[in-house]
Formats: sequence, structure tokens, C-alpha cells
Amino acid sequence: MNLIEQTRQEALSLFEKVGLPSKRDEDWKYTDASRLADLLEIGEVSADINSQDLGMVDLDAYRMVFMNGVFDETQSNLPNEVSIVSVAALEASVSNEDSETLAKLFQVSGDEPLFNGLMALNAAMASDGAAICLADNSVLDKPLYLLHISNQNNVIRHGLMLGENAQAQVIEHFISTGDEKALSNCVTAVILKNGASLEHSRLQQEGEKQSHVARVEVKQFRDSSYTFHGVELGALLSRTDLVVGLSESGASCELNGLFVLGGRQHVDHHTRVDHEAPHCTSRENYRTVLDGRSHGVFNGKVVVHEGAVKTDSSQSNGNLLLSKHAEIDTKPELEIYNDDVKCAHGATVGQLDDKQLFYLRSRGISQEAAQELLTFAFADEILTAMSHQTVRSYVEKVAFAKLPHGAELDGLIG
Amino acid sequence: MLVIKDLHVSVDGKEILKGLSLTINAGEVHAIMGPNGAGKSTLSNVIAGRDGYDVTSGSITYKEDDLLEMSPEERAWNGVFLAFQYPVEIPGVNNTYLLKAGVNAKRRHQGLDELDAFDFMSVVKEKAKLVELDASFLSRSVNEGFSGGEKKRNEIFQMAVLEPELALLDETDSGLDIDALRIVAGGVNKLRSPDRAIVMITHYQRLLDYIEPDFVHVLADGKIQKTGDKSLALKLEEHGYDWVKENL
Repeated sequence: MNLIEQTRQEALSLFEKVGLPSKRDEDWKYTDASRLADLLEIGEVSADINSQDLGMVDLDAYRMVFMNGVFDETQSNLPNEVSIVSVAALEASVSNEDSETLAKLFQVSGDEPLFNGLMALNAAMASDGAAICLADNSVLDKPLYLLHISNQNNVIRHGLMLGENAQAQVIEHFISTGDEKALSNCVTAVILKNGASLEHSRLQQEGEKQSHVARVEVKQFRDSSYTFHGVELGALLSRTDLVVGLSESGASCELNGLFVLGGRQHVDHHTRVDHEAPHCTSRENYRTVLDGRSHGVFNGKVVVHEGAVKTDSSQSNGNLLLSKHAEIDTKPELEIYNDDVKCAHGATVGQLDDKQLFYLRSRGISQEAAQELLTFAFADEILTAMSHQTVRSYVEKVAFAKLPHGAELDGLIG
Repeated sequence: MLVIKDLHVSVDGKEILKGLSLTINAGEVHAIMGPNGAGKSTLSNVIAGRDGYDVTSGSITYKEDDLLEMSPEERAWNGVFLAFQYPVEIPGVNNTYLLKAGVNAKRRHQGLDELDAFDFMSVVKEKAKLVELDASFLSRSVNEGFSGGEKKRNEIFQMAVLEPELALLDETDSGLDIDALRIVAGGVNKLRSPDRAIVMITHYQRLLDYIEPDFVHVLADGKIQKTGDKSLALKLEEHGYDWVKENL
């Protein structure tokens, strides 16, 4: 058994030991992981999916397509000079002497923040992923678009390493087809060396019976910068753990999240930012729009460690409930272990503003359209942070179509 | 154009308008003046159709129709416009989009084709000049981060674009310095027309130095207490509202 196989075997043992998260676990109080119990088997992977008309974003980008968790080279398009390869290919080709680096991608420890059994299971079972390694001072000239298409249980594990002062933009997109219940289990591990900069969008748009669990873990070194846009539109149950470690001074992160939910959708994001070094900045801004009987959960925890002086952290979470049956559980949390910090956090839950509604109606906008317009404006403020206009427009269009009268206002949005 | 008869309006069970009657014809400019709490803003909000105002008796007829039966947007489509005393900020809703939606909703109601983006923009740019509004305001969110004066100018700009038949200006002069007042008043004056009625609701006489009214009404204790020409406003300025009360 080589080192990689051994590491993955250890992850499996860890999963067998801890199992699925239980509701007694504070971090899983609102999300019932037992609903995933019969979705853990990985059958024979089939890449036989009709991917026509599935809503791929038309982007001028490098592309990696994963069908049920397996890289499909024929649909992909990668730069020659940069090291972006499939994890499975790498695993197959790596020599025993070089396996140490790749083995790290599969290492899971029960001590990590927001650890749970599903991430161990991911390390054990992942069928593929993108292994991206940007050299120092290199800039990826186009965004990298990671498209995930599934119609069965799938497990994927991406590793991104940006060298010193390297820059990239990565867009992950998850869509599914078919009516079967299935689970996508996805991990993205990011390392940003000194001065590196990554903009990372994650667009979850899976089918209405689908379950989706994800972990994004980011380790940041000196003066690096990380921007995350998490957009949740699809799936019946979706849970993301976002864990960012600001481990050296001058590192900064910006975490943006948007849920637009209806029906019986349940989406839960737990975020955790560790300020481990002085002069780091974190910004977090989450918004949810909840209709029907949907349920949103936001738990944002910022931990400012001893010695992390001059920490600058802010967190805000705004929630719009469009139906009296929709529900949000929100909890911004701060733990501070030194005196010299600037931290702010807050959450709001509300309905549409009567004064704004009346103002729009007095200008001739119908009541329904005014409600839609205000709802959209509320959600869209999160998307203004997205630098990629095509992706932003795509998200706006899809999110807008989810609103009850979205079509009436087509052409009104930018 | 607008006939208000014996209007009684309560807010949270308290009667604010107590039998107000008023007739306004096309082409006229009316000023409604009165002390704080007299019911000036209640009157403009009831005409525009805001919730929370309980009309207990009386009627408002607008161009032969029962105005109180119409939703706020129907009133707008039929030519009623309110320039707000406190224009609300709407982050994320673009000024120009709002106006385009408003103009086209009205055109649909009138059975006209919608304006295309190009035609609309040329109208908008021309009207912005009327109140010396910088073109950069057009692409900003509605009133967001505008100064008090900019908000009021934006209201008159919207009025210019929406071309109402009945325009209510609720304390449009409040919070304006003298230069801004001159600009806003200049915009309103350019919008005077034989087909359009303008009702200015104000606390102070100074607005009337810039926009000369045909009629001045004194609203106090929920009723029109006195009606006259612009000299009435000067008298009010001189003697204060107590003078009206003493002469009741």
C-alpha cells in the first residue's frame, strides 16, 4: 500500500469511528445528517449523462468537467503551460517518492475546526478532482471553470495551491440531472502562499431531490487574499462548511453568501475564520431570501487568537422572509482572545420595507413587481462583489427566475 | 380635475382630516399651507394612496373616477404624482430602471408601445438638465447616499420624466438651501402647463416667491380654513398661523 492509499484508508477508519454528524452535535443542530444515511454508497460510476441543455455557463474560461465525480477530458479545456490536472490521473501516475505531497490532500484530522465524518468520508471515497498548482508570480489568464454534473452519488476533492503572488479566479458550478435522490460530497482545499490572491465562486444549482455537502478549507499565508462567493439555489438539502485560517500577518478574506430558497429547501452554511496572526482582515456578508417552507441556517464564527492584534473583522447577515412558513436560524459568533481588535457583527431578519414598496408603487410599479424588485435588490447587493460579470449575470438570471414574478421585471436588472 | 368633498381621515383611530373640501382644476397651481400637525402630509398621502389612512367619510373624485378605489400604481398610471417629503432610499434599485419601469407601466396602461432603451435615455437626459441633476445620478441606486437637496431634485426630475397631470409636492422646499431651492423651483416652473395641476404643500412662504400660486389655502385643524391668492401667504408670513386661528 502506498502512502496515498494508506492516508485514504486512515480517513475511512476515521469515518467508521465517528460516523455521520448527529443532531446532538451543536454544529448540526438544525441540519439532519441522518437524511444522508442511505446516500453514502458509491456505485459503479457512470459518465453517461446527457449534458445538453443543462445550463452550463457560457464563459471564456479554462474548463474542467466532472461527470459523477470523474474528470471528462473530452469536454474540458486546459492551459498547456500551467499545472492543472485531474487528481485521479495524478494519483495513478505519481511515484512513491513523490506521493507525500498528494497524500497531504487526503489527510484528515479529527481536530480540525468544524470536523465531521462526511469530510473523512470524502477523503476516503473521492473519485477525482482538480489538482491545481500555480507557480510563484504566475497569473492564470482566464478563470478556471469547474463544472460538476451528476445523476448519482458522487464524491469530489479539489486541491488548489497558489504560489507566492500567484493569482487566479475559480468558479465551481454544481448541476444535476435525473429524478433520483443522490448526494454530492465535495471538498475544496486551498492554500494561498505569500501575496497570492484567489477569487472563488461556488454556485450550487443541483436538482430538487439532491443533497449536497461541501467543505471549503483555506489556509492563508502572509498578505494573501481570498474572496469567496457562495450561491445556493438548488438541492433539497445543502450544507457547506467554510473554514478559513489567516495564519500570517496581512492576510485578508472576504466571504459572501447568498441563498435564494423556496419549497422545502434546507441550506446551512457554517463558516469559521481563525485570526491567528496580527493585521489580518476578514469580511463576511451573507444574505438569504426564503420563500415557501424553506429553512436557512447561517452560523458564522470568528475566532481572534491570542497575539492576533490589530485584527479587523466584520460580519453581517441579512435575511428576508417572503413567507410566514419560511425559517432562518442565524448566529454570528465572535471569540476574542486579545484586546487590540476591531470586530463587528450583526444579523437582521425581516420582511420587505413598506415605505420602499409604497414609493415604487407611487411611481407606477405594480405591487407584485415592486415586491420582486425589492427582493431582487436585496439579494443582488451580495452579487455586486462578484468581479466576473458573466457569472454574475448568470446567477442573477437563475436567482431571478426562482422568484414568483421574476419574469415581469426582466429587463429591469442590469 | 380633483374634487375633494368633506373628507374625514383617521390615523390609528385619531381623526386628522375633519371635513376637508377642495377643488383643483387643470392648469392651476395651489399652495396648501398650515402649521405642523394640521394634516398637510395626511392629505398628500391619502391622495397618493398610502396604507394606514382610514377614510371614514367623504370622497375624492379624480377626472370623474373615484380615486379612493384605485391602488397607488393605478393612480400613478392615471397621472397622479407625489413628490415625497422624505424620499426613501432603495439600495440596489437603479434610478433609471425605476423610471423606465414606471414610464412603461403607464404607457402599457394607456395602450401605447413601451419606449425602447435609446428613446428613453434621450428623454431622461434632457429632463435631468431641468433640475441640473448630474448624469451620474441616473446610474445610482434610488436616493441612496443622496444629500437632502439631491433627493428633492431627484423627486422633481422623476416628475419631469413621468409627466403627471396632478403633481403633489409635499414640503419640497424643506431642507433646501437657497441655491437648491432656486433650482428645484425653476424645474417646477418649467413643468407648469395648462394640462397639469400642481399642489404645493408647504410650511413656509418662501417657496411661493419662486413658484407663484394661483390659490393659497390655509389648512388648520383638519380643514381648509381660508382660501385666497398669494397675498394670503404674505399675510400668514407676517402674522403667523395664530392669526388664522383667531379669525376662525
